[in-house]
Amino acid sequence: MSILNVSRRGFLKSSGIVGGGLVVGFSLSGCGRAPLPIEPEAGGFVPNAFLQISPDNSIRFYCPRDEMGQGVTTGLATLIGEELDVDPAAFDVVFAGVHPDYNNPAMMVQNTGGSTSMKAHYLPLRQVGANTRAVLIEAAAIELNLRADQLETDNRYIIANGSRYPYGKFVNTAARLQAPEAAPLKSTDDFRYINHTFPRIDAVAKATGTAEFGIDIDIPGMHHAVVRRSPVTGALIESVDTSAAKAMPGVTDVIKISSGIAVVAQKYWQAKQAAQKLEPVWQEVPLGRMDSASLRHDYEQLMAGEDGVVAADEGDIEAGLEAAHGTLEAQYWTPYLAHAPLEPMNAVLNIADGKAELWSGTQSSQAAQGLVARFSGIDPENITVHNTYMGGAFGRRGFLTHVIEVTEIATAVDKPIQLVWSREDDIRHGVYRPSSLMKIRAGIDAQGNVTTWDAKRVGGNVGVDTLRSMLPGLFPGLGDGTINWMVGMADTTVRGWIADPTSIEGIFEDYDFENVKVTHTTVEHGLPLAFWRAVGHSYTSFAKESMMDELAIAAGVDPVEFRLTNTQNNPRLNNVIRIAGEVMREMQPAQGRYLGFAAHHSFATDVAEIAEVSIDNGKVRVHKVTCVVDCGIAVNPDVVRAQMEGSIMFGLTAALYGNLDLEGGAIRESNFHDYPILRMNEAPAVEVIIVDSGTEPTGVGEPGLPPIAPAVANAVFAATGQRLRSLPLKLQV
Amino acid sequence: MIEFKLNGAIVSTDDAPDTPLLWVVRDTFKLKGSKFGCGAGLCGACTMHIDGAAIRTCLLPISRVAGRDVTTIEGLGTPENLHPLQAAWHELSVPQCGYCQSGQIMSAAALLADNPSPSAADVDTAMAGNICRCGCYGRIKEAILQVSGAALAYDAAAPAQETGA
Ligand code: FES
Ligand code: FES
Repeated sequence: MSILNVSRRGFLKSSGIVGGGLVVGFSLSGCGRAPLPIEPEAGGFVPNAFLQISPDNSIRFYCPRDEMGQGVTTGLATLIGEELDVDPAAFDVVFAGVHPDYNNPAMMVQNTGGSTSMKAHYLPLRQVGANTRAVLIEAAAIELNLRADQLETDNRYIIANGSRYPYGKFVNTAARLQAPEAAPLKSTDDFRYINHTFPRIDAVAKATGTAEFGIDIDIPGMHHAVVRRSPVTGALIESVDTSAAKAMPGVTDVIKISSGIAVVAQKYWQAKQAAQKLEPVWQEVPLGRMDSASLRHDYEQLMAGEDGVVAADEGDIEAGLEAAHGTLEAQYWTPYLAHAPLEPMNAVLNIADGKAELWSGTQSSQAAQGLVARFSGIDPENITVHNTYMGGAFGRRGFLTHVIEVTEIATAVDKPIQLVWSREDDIRHGVYRPSSLMKIRAGIDAQGNVTTWDAKRVGGNVGVDTLRSMLPGLFPGLGDGTINWMVGMADTTVRGWIADPTSIEGIFEDYDFENVKVTHTTVEHGLPLAFWRAVGHSYTSFAKESMMDELAIAAGVDPVEFRLTNTQNNPRLNNVIRIAGEVMREMQPAQGRYLGFAAHHSFATDVAEIAEVSIDNGKVRVHKVTCVVDCGIAVNPDVVRAQMEGSIMFGLTAALYGNLDLEGGAIRESNFHDYPILRMNEAPAVEVIIVDSGTEPTGVGEPGLPPIAPAVANAVFAATGQRLRSLPLKLQV
Repeated sequence: MIEFKLNGAIVSTDDAPDTPLLWVVRDTFKLKGSKFGCGAGLCGACTMHIDGAAIRTCLLPISRVAGRDVTTIEGLGTPENLHPLQAAWHELSVPQCGYCQSGQIMSAAALLADNPSPSAADVDTAMAGNICRCGCYGRIKEAILQVSGAALAYDAAAPAQETGA
């Protein structure tokens, strides 16, 4: 065991590696390292990597981030449209290809995630819009023989002496001019799109079945592949008889790939039926001896033991507990979870003439390109990646084993291939939110201040598995040996020296504790781990906000007042708690309904939630959730509301149902009958209150999730007196 | 050879009779609006109308569809000519990822054809077979009730207030 004293500031800073603290060059002028990634079409003007303005005045926006439902196309079109003076709904939006100009300014790579998009592009994309508008005005001034200051713009038109001229009229002249690098930005008072509500720009396509998802791609000669994988992750094939599958109608190929056996057929259903005929025998791996009970036993043992990395250490825990007016200790459990986006993993790959074209909805086109390169031997510059709409992601689509599979298959069989996973594949062969055992010991003084907070978490580290998964794609030129060494170093580091920030993020930072200690002990059994909406916050909030409720009740203080008292050094969260508390005080729940409260800061955003629950036939029913959020300027307030609504439903599914069990090392659950998702008849009404703090935008896609499970658990306590410390919540009857 | 009506036109296919309708429509007739979510009748992403009823098609063998009238999302409305539900879906920004929405709208359209003024509870019952992993339920319900001419009776319909800090 090693002790490392990291101050809270240092801790938070290191968390920024994941939360998005690294700002790197964002090419606004197209003068990046590589040439501009888009070709002008039919006289189009391409001032930078993001825009193409055509003579017919249609304007294409090359969206650098990936749309998984979070509304990023609407949000980014709003940012660039605001300064370019184009109604966001008027853009022809396409997903950008792979190019350094499209890197996420928060991450250095072309990834989408971490609730970073609005925050990271708020200034850069507005600047792109402003610079482009300025060069169009300059071109119009030349052509119209006027001074630039005599010209105005209005939604794709230059206004001069009361006449309207389409931007497209000036593209030839504009193309010969040098756009400014830092045209002035609008003041927030002049916004006509930012912070205004209008329909999502992809709603019509998504309501008419015309939005194209990865699974909808269909190219000439395309064959369909289905893969049989080991029920126990990591087991290789011992033997398999492929003759029955090969004899099935439509089947063209049955081949071994690194993850299992692929069946290729003319149609999906043929491949699927044929794959059923395989009876592979798999080698044994240690994970095959694990089941949920033995796994849990390991966690308990490590919790009881002394091992661990100290992730935060301030003041003196033992003295704090000694001096406390009262102390509490409790242990919380949260299980493994699958993401289960409604569109299962899929990809289409066409390899011909030494070039490759990939279609897949991913959270990292760059990693997808790199994986195709790595597993096909084709240079990245000869690989085109077409990103598509994603039927949900929640972190899942940053992990691209399906891209590796499709590359291995297409390379081996020399046909254009579409690979589609089944729902069973998704639940059983995916990447998972790690399970966690968390213990908190806390002490309070006579005034209701929590003076002491000693937290320990036992579980796996998402950060290490993310490196393992991302490095091969992001650095296709790095050898496996180097990557394994790097991952091994990271693993050794987080096990013995510095905790993985994502493993413990959110477990103590929100409150004014004088004495804090956070300890982390790694345990992994071989299930691959992944970011899952809100990552570490998805479980630490449950322990932290349940314990705060327990302390408030033990101290006889109102839980909202209690949190206000303990957030004096955290004004933004304090304000959100205060506003939510005022709303809660006015609520008059009907007979048999009870309220629970929780608040949490994550992805730079503060959220408080109130859950109204009843107990029906021994089951928890959530009727209404009120959510107060401060995410800075809401780029589109209605999209912010939608993300809070969605995060609450996602978090409620986890709070009420979400659980994966291991049996002989295999995931027992397989589809929506045993891995249920909240349905409409179980869904609460949601009211969202956006606190307009006027600061730059902060995260929106994830921060609505962390408070919901503890808010419901706290309401269940109010209703029944039962303190449920395990997710999913199950009442004792 | 199996013949049926697809969005008003007579079509025929020699896909194996046990092939589910969903895959015939997607892979053979190349209509990609109906989605695959579970393949087990559990999520509703594959919902189409068969003789007007909302049916899960991921398990339904094509042999059972012979001679019947199949409508998919493509047959309900188009971006230029939206069905009232689709217009409401746009106006209320119902979709998030959008993947479930074809199925949601097909279930909703069958409900309204059957019961033009459903109660909120009727909507819950009719829509309980359609999963939305993104959690758009409040808006789906609001859009259906709006099209039926009813106001939503629960608080989610009230516009969220903007509160000064
Ligand atoms: S795909 Fe048919 S019900 Fe899920
Ligand atoms: S909008 Fe994503 S599943 Fe419904």
